[in-house]
Amino acid sequence: MKSSSNKSNSMEEKYITQAKLQELCNELMENNFDVFIPRQYGYQKLNKGEDFTIDNSLKPTKSSFKDLVFPKAEPILYYKKNKSEVEIIDPKPNGRTKIILGAKPCDAKSISIMSKVFNWDYKDEFFNVRANNTLIVGILCNFVDEFCFCTSVGLSPKSTEGSDLFLIPVDGGYGVKIVSERGNEFYQKYSNYFTAGDEKQIKDSEAKVKEPEVTFEPEQVRRWIGENFENNYWNTVGTLCLGCAQCAFVCPVCHCFDIVDEDYCYTEGRRMKNWDACQFEIFTLHASGHNPRNDQNKRYRQRISHKFKYYPDKFNEILCTGCGRCSRGCPVSIDIKKIVSDINSFAQS
Amino acid sequence: MNKDNFEPKIVAFVCNWCTYTGADLAGTSRMKYKPNVRMIKLPCTGRIDPLFILKAFERGADGVLVSGCHPGDCHYNAGNFHARRRWIMFRKLLDFLGIDDSRIHFSWVSASEGKKFVDVVNGFTDKVKARGPFTRFKKLNEEFVINE
Amino acid sequence: MNNLRQIAAELLNTGKVNAIVGYVPVDGTSRTKPFIATKPEEVEKFVINQNILNNLSVYLTKDEVKKNFKKIGIIAKGCDIKSIIALIQENQIQRDNIVIIGIKCSGVYADFEETRIADKCVNCEVMEPHLFDYLVEMENGSVLAGEDQKIKIIRQIETMNAEERWDFFENEFSRCIKCYACRQVCPMCYCERCIVDKAIPRWIESSAHKRGNFAWNLVRAFHLSGRCVGCGECERVCPMDIPLSLLNRKMIMVTQEEFNYKSGMDLNTPTLIGSYDLKDNEEFIE
Repeated sequence: MKSSSNKSNSMEEKYITQAKLQELCNELMENNFDVFIPRQYGYQKLNKGEDFTIDNSLKPTKSSFKDLVFPKAEPILYYKKNKSEVEIIDPKPNGRTKIILGAKPCDAKSISIMSKVFNWDYKDEFFNVRANNTLIVGILCNFVDEFCFCTSVGLSPKSTEGSDLFLIPVDGGYGVKIVSERGNEFYQKYSNYFTAGDEKQIKDSEAKVKEPEVTFEPEQVRRWIGENFENNYWNTVGTLCLGCAQCAFVCPVCHCFDIVDEDYCYTEGRRMKNWDACQFEIFTLHASGHNPRNDQNKRYRQRISHKFKYYPDKFNEILCTGCGRCSRGCPVSIDIKKIVSDINSFAQS
Repeated sequence: MNKDNFEPKIVAFVCNWCTYTGADLAGTSRMKYKPNVRMIKLPCTGRIDPLFILKAFERGADGVLVSGCHPGDCHYNAGNFHARRRWIMFRKLLDFLGIDDSRIHFSWVSASEGKKFVDVVNGFTDKVKARGPFTRFKKLNEEFVINE
Repeated sequence: MNNLRQIAAELLNTGKVNAIVGYVPVDGTSRTKPFIATKPEEVEKFVINQNILNNLSVYLTKDEVKKNFKKIGIIAKGCDIKSIIALIQENQIQRDNIVIIGIKCSGVYADFEETRIADKCVNCEVMEPHLFDYLVEMENGSVLAGEDQKIKIIRQIETMNAEERWDFFENEFSRCIKCYACRQVCPMCYCERCIVDKAIPRWIESSAHKRGNFAWNLVRAFHLSGRCVGCGECERVCPMDIPLSLLNRKMIMVTQEEFNYKSGMDLNTPTLIGSYDLKDNEEFIE
């Protein structure tokens, strides 16, 4: 199903011009596939015949493409009442093929990370159908700022992990690496758009990327968090947090959800699966009125622990790709990189 | 939808002591008025939370009528004064968003004004009928379709 | 600058306040972020420059702050002081429990990218604050020139007909992801249980679909009518760039026109929605 970094097995690199890429997208849209490219607010659908450019030196979009595989609001069942009978109707998850074009490595990895929890004790059909029909075309990243830290979590601006195909901008177009089985199938189908790639050009482009400095060691962080649940450090971390869910919602891998029922009218309605976040005050509010995480410090501790300890413990993946969106967008500039780096320095002393 | 056949659904939030009694009077006097209105009785217009009005539109109302006691006659002394202030603001907000006077109407109808109630209802129903169904709000509901 | 640090240190030293909320720089960037200083030596970090975008008065409403600090000092621009006054008008904080260090402000940037002046600063009447206990100057403050973009858009919307207005707002609200950053950053949104979190009955759907988004944004704008001071934080923090200030500023204009009232200007005026006037306009009521 999903891609894996298959560098040793990748065929020689290919090449595609910008113009041919444009044409390929038009053909894909003719074949009833949806193509998404990074734009102002997030990844948005391309319209037929629309010209586009992908500038990989821009900062990551404000929000990720998580919405395409894990929608912000999704109906999971519909009901109709007729006197005393209730009819339950299962919606068919949207299996339309989507091609995500121009995902930076910090975005491309997100589906493979989330898919671990969505296939853990229960196979989430809604997620799987969408993820299985999504092709990720990653792109080399030429952006770095003070909030990025992909290198600290095992990624890099040239990492192909999570991508099915990977573009490297070169003169006139892109070098193309075929990373996964699915990527290869795609390539075989549309190989007429591609020509042979120039390995030297590709290596040159790759050499020019600026990598963010590594500021922490995930293993050290994981160990420290496991041993320091009651540490006073946590009382300093969440004090300024306002408890909005901006960080969780723009994050490519945060995946908590809430189930609510809504009605159209007295006899018809639906059950919705909506994004939720551990930073909300009512996230752990019990029906009795008791709230185990009743202040923001405890809630922020949960966020860091989940991402850097609990998820890696269970699934061997860090629940973070180092994209920095949470910190860039935080209303009060809480910087996750700084917090985890602080923890790292505690761990080392 | 055939515009001529369109019968608007109007929800009326009315206060118990004045307008509701006024409507009762219209009924007992056998005055006829358009049947499109569905009445919701509240103790006082001061109880009307603008959320009710929003919910009425959400659930398919084409028009909303809000009516209560004349200023100075409120059974609870000042409920309608508070309500009046709220309406001034809510009305402007709705107008800014695209829900104008042809969809929402306010009136003072006292317990003895059965005829006025009939006039208000008939007049507003005609206005909404001429304006047409409030399809735009209804379309918000159609984002998810069963068996997509 | 030294003036501010002196004042702040003295307040903490003498115990006049238990904590001071102010702005500190974010290392390696031109940004600033909030900081709560509890020890006199911590005030060295405070800055006042044209990047102090946050409205710190939101912290005066947070339980964690209220519980831990009885008396709080706050470094505030004129617009933030309006929020503080609005909170006092609504009895959320006592005037005696806060010490306001006001800033003579020359305007702040709209965002940390320092591209243009914030819309709220263009016609600001409280560049010299109207209520304070101490007054300090903004460092390197040059009055930024610019146009109020929001007013232009509001005027434009006013020329549209009902369908066009609806389309405009439906389109903007469709991007909403219900993160509630707008609510959390707003000093006037201090309700212990927000209406959107109430499930029985479900008044406003928490789902991020069109109907839920429209209801949320409309109701929040209404709950702020007559109370919003126009600090613009809601729009600054929205991750989907929804122009929330259009609604809130329009309502500020409406309350000015209809009632000649501005929230946050005078401690002693009763709140708008909490009171009434026998002579309120009722021409629209049949």
